[in-house]
Amino acid sequence: MTMASAYSRSALFLLTALVLHMALFSDLRILGVAPEIPLAIAVTAGLVGGPERGAVAGFAIGLGIDLYLPTLFGLSALIYTVWGYSVGLLEERIFRSAWWINVLVTAAATAGGLLVYAVLGELLGEANLYTDRLYVVMGVAAVYNLVLSLPLLGLWRWSWPSLLGEEH
Amino acid sequence: MAAGTRTGRSRFTLIFLLLSSATLVTLDARDFEPLQRTEETLTDLISPLRSGADRLFGPVGDAWAGVTGYDELEAENRELREELQQLEAQQILDSDAAIRLELLLDELGLPYVQDIPNVVAEVVTANVGNFDRYSVQINRGAEDGIRNGMPVVTRGGLIGRIDGDPGRGHSRVTLLTDPSFEVGVLAVGTDDVALASGSGHGGPLMVRKGLEIDTEVAVGQEVVTSGVDRSRYPPGIPIGTVTEIDYDEARLLQLLTVEPSANTDNLSFVTVLLYDPLAEES
Repeated sequence: MTMASAYSRSALFLLTALVLHMALFSDLRILGVAPEIPLAIAVTAGLVGGPERGAVAGFAIGLGIDLYLPTLFGLSALIYTVWGYSVGLLEERIFRSAWWINVLVTAAATAGGLLVYAVLGELLGEANLYTDRLYVVMGVAAVYNLVLSLPLLGLWRWSWPSLLGEEH
Repeated sequence: MAAGTRTGRSRFTLIFLLLSSATLVTLDARDFEPLQRTEETLTDLISPLRSGADRLFGPVGDAWAGVTGYDELEAENRELREELQQLEAQQILDSDAAIRLELLLDELGLPYVQDIPNVVAEVVTANVGNFDRYSVQINRGAEDGIRNGMPVVTRGGLIGRIDGDPGRGHSRVTLLTDPSFEVGVLAVGTDDVALASGSGHGGPLMVRKGLEIDTEVAVGQEVVTSGVDRSRYPPGIPIGTVTEIDYDEARLLQLLTVEPSANTDNLSFVTVLLYDPLAEES
């Protein structure tokens, strides 16, 4: 598999995930909370591809979702970049991942990412982010992303098969 | 060695992406126009894909809402049945009330909303995230004459306003449930202008400023937009009904709880009033 086709697959995956998140997953709410697909994408990219790919995927999907959020453009991209990178780094240095660890990490990183998003957003002057409801959002979204992490991890492996073979 | 190079490159990538994100955040906070135009172009590019996906997966979302909201729907149905019985019993009184409202609006010289040019728009995205519960996106924008701050209504009354500069073919609507949403109101039959604000998802509007303690207001009284000088909203748009009255003895004010007359959940179509207070004035 060439680098170009790996990038094409990644781009296709990201675009499809973004559209599906907006058209489908954002409607599948439990207690008013939807799965955080873009954040899960960033985290699973870090887990499968390492810090650099985690950061790039987080940045790209973050920018995509920022187009449709009323918060500052670039805020999601900023947080997802850090999250993709950090999870990738932890995976490389600490976890060396069993599948169930990856799944738990995705859930924990989702909750943590939402907390950081709310706190940073409020610091930058966005209203209604850090509310009483935040912990409900963190809990439900974490469980949702825990369930969705396995297919997402599989899809990232499909996107980067030979590149992963070269590096790992 | 290779691992070292890779680590160095990934750190460089991280720093580059972080700086890019921070730059975008800063530019957006300063309403940098070229960035906003780029955002619009990108949104327009993705829009056909999204519309197709919306059509494809819309029924799935509806089915999910039906399953997860079953208890809520049942309770709502029960309430509606009870409400219907009460309405039937008071049909005559209600028609009297409608005539009275119309007369009062006439007396106040409030123009009808139907006289204001308007654009009907479809709600294309309700909330895509978990933090944007107070806004929806509609499929009409600047090319339809929509501008920042214009009022958005449904048959039930005011539901919000256009938030920020709209794109060519889309705009964002901030709903009146947003705690930062404020609108000048008056209770029909009075001339004290007060300020109502949102109180969160599903909550009533709260009037906390401007209504003097000696103004005669009763529970059940209709509240409409005041349309005072340079208000963003024309006068006479229904806001809701007073459900509770409290008194702030220290500030000599009445505090009203107003149940909105328009439902902001499950919006499909809305009407944007192409209302420009400055143009109206001139």
